[in-house]
Amino acid sequence: MPEPAMTAPLVLCIVLPLLGALFATALPGRAVAVGIVTALVTAAAAVALTLAVWEQGTLHLVLGGWEPALAIALRADGIATALVLMANLVALGISVYASGYFQDAIRIRSFWPLWLLLWAALNGLFLAGDLFNLYVMLELLGISAAALGALTGNREAIAANLRYLLVGLLGSITYLLGVAFLYTAHGSLDIGILAAAIAANEQLFAVDAAAMTLMISGLALKAALFPLHFWLPPAHANAPAPVSAALSALVVKAAFYLILRLWLDVFAPVTGMAAAMLLALLGSAAVLWGSWRALRAARLKLLAAYSTVAQIGYLFLFLPLLVATPEGPARDNLLAALLLMAVTHGFAKAGFFLAAGLVQTNAGHDRIDELGGTAQRLPATTFAIALAGSALIGLPPSGSFIGKWLLMQQAIATGQWWWVVVILAGTALAAAYVFRVLSRAFGLEPTPLRFITDPRAEVPALVLALVSVAVLGLASGPLWTLLGLSGADA
Amino acid sequence: MTDPTFATRPDPARAAERDRDLKLLLAVLLALLGVTMTAIYALALNAGAAPRLADLALARVPQTGVDNPVTAVLLNYRAYDTLMELAVLLAALLGIWSLGPAPAGFQRSGPVLAGMVSWVVPLLIVAGGYMLWVGGYAPGGAFQAGALLGAAGVIVRLAGDPQAGLPGEAAQRWLLVLGVLVFTLVGLGLMLFGAGFLTYPPKLAKWLILLIESAATLAIGVALAAAYVGGRPTATSPLDPRPSAQPK
Repeated sequence: MPEPAMTAPLVLCIVLPLLGALFATALPGRAVAVGIVTALVTAAAAVALTLAVWEQGTLHLVLGGWEPALAIALRADGIATALVLMANLVALGISVYASGYFQDAIRIRSFWPLWLLLWAALNGLFLAGDLFNLYVMLELLGISAAALGALTGNREAIAANLRYLLVGLLGSITYLLGVAFLYTAHGSLDIGILAAAIAANEQLFAVDAAAMTLMISGLALKAALFPLHFWLPPAHANAPAPVSAALSALVVKAAFYLILRLWLDVFAPVTGMAAAMLLALLGSAAVLWGSWRALRAARLKLLAAYSTVAQIGYLFLFLPLLVATPEGPARDNLLAALLLMAVTHGFAKAGFFLAAGLVQTNAGHDRIDELGGTAQRLPATTFAIALAGSALIGLPPSGSFIGKWLLMQQAIATGQWWWVVVILAGTALAAAYVFRVLSRAFGLEPTPLRFITDPRAEVPALVLALVSVAVLGLASGPLWTLLGLSGADA
Repeated sequence: MTDPTFATRPDPARAAERDRDLKLLLAVLLALLGVTMTAIYALALNAGAAPRLADLALARVPQTGVDNPVTAVLLNYRAYDTLMELAVLLAALLGIWSLGPAPAGFQRSGPVLAGMVSWVVPLLIVAGGYMLWVGGYAPGGAFQAGALLGAAGVIVRLAGDPQAGLPGEAAQRWLLVLGVLVFTLVGLGLMLFGAGFLTYPPKLAKWLILLIESAATLAIGVALAAAYVGGRPTATSPLDPRPSAQPK
């Protein structure tokens, strides 16, 4: 039994936003103050967790003091911690932005409790070590996300988010069916115990493979993997800006994280090249189709939503390379590159959506063709869009540049050169859709008077975009250390 | 967006026929999927692993503070899941509230229904209390007890009280969060005293579980009744401009 003080951040990351949600519900008049305080202490807990994992390696805590098989485990390894840190910093930025974004009392009262519940679910999902507990977290995440997305209140938003809710429920139920298979066959829900049981019982391959198919298809629906992405663009494009940022940057990423976790930990003996190739093929289709639709999108937020479909696609391209690469520094680099791309996209997309929301409130619309002169009216926001855009394209020095570079390097090294073609095409399309926005925004109009016009709304977007480009690109070395990996050159 | 290629429509009879064929194909495919899944599930059942965990769970019941194994799983072994399930219920209700104010209630009931309500509602509340207590050693517990309280709320609303017998908004909000709040504070308190989050000392387990379950019962009852009301509490304006309610 480890010292409670050591594993405290593990619990606090989940419990603090939960408590915040309760007080924001019970004291609706002070919802904003409760929300901001909760955001600060939760982000602090996430930093404490990162430091603890940095110093001691993987943290593991079995709740209730029972045998691991009987109880629920929480765990934080390098992958989980990197995503928790990203998610909590992004969520802090979103909270600061949201404190000024919502104006009427009813929206404020609805937003904060649901947002903090979503935050608790995100941290709970990243830190869970139990398959059924993950299902509960998926439910909490899905319900709060759909309710938040519908806060815009118009017909399109409600229809899109009702569809999102139903699709999400289908995804979780499919996942749960897979969990039932695994529990029946192996008698455990703990990820560690199941991984050992699956590796030991090769005669149950059919059951394990069926469970994997069910669970990964359910989650692919939630992660909006092509062609299961149909629900995402309308839901994300019609939500209020801070919610769009959270949905696109964090919620979709959580479903992908779970796929990765299952792929690497639970189903390692079952996964094969065929499954990896199928997922990567769908991923390539997502890269090309998502980028193309983003290029053709008439509205800024719709563009950002389709770009999410494409960016999630890139993450799936890593799977066949992970299968083909033997254990060692090359595989470690590949894994770190995967994380780096996921984290960079989290910061960049959140920054992009927050900035797009500001453009929308300022101009009264977000039709790309009519955005002339935005650079003059909102210089800091336009700069944030440009920075986030360069991270979406993968320009140096952004984190996704390093990620894509390592991805292509390994694709050539393992002889799977065709993915390079997909990556290059996707990058070219991304450059096209980002520059399409920027060329409109930088119209020939008078020089701006002030760089920043509304600090509370502009600074979070700018900081998030800046992190995705400068911090993650120039200082990505610590990620390797956090993951406990050997690969050197970063 | 309208697609220009849809201008020439196929004639309805053929479309209906194709629709039927498609449905048939879908049904056959789903049936095949079902058969495959059942066969694989049978394979999993033959592995016979699940009972081993049940044996372990039953063996530990005396240390959980309750005698009913289901309550032991829900409130002790996997208490963290239950805590989050209560949060899911809260999120669902907050989602309902975010969509708009509550629709108007039903008209006042006649004397016969009103008489029955005045009998049934107290009975439901007493039965809820019994369910809560009995959960310690036999089937029952907070969710069942909360469901009975929720049912009492539904009956009260059907009989004409637009608020389903619930208190004002401020009290309602506190009651709603009560379950998760007590649960979390007990968990954190135990962590503070060095036992670990939601790790009950065996001597106190029974009373802590009863405390959590009582709070959860109230919260579940209020959440279910408020979900049936179907919208944000409207404190002083019972006359809602929207068409009269048809909640299911």
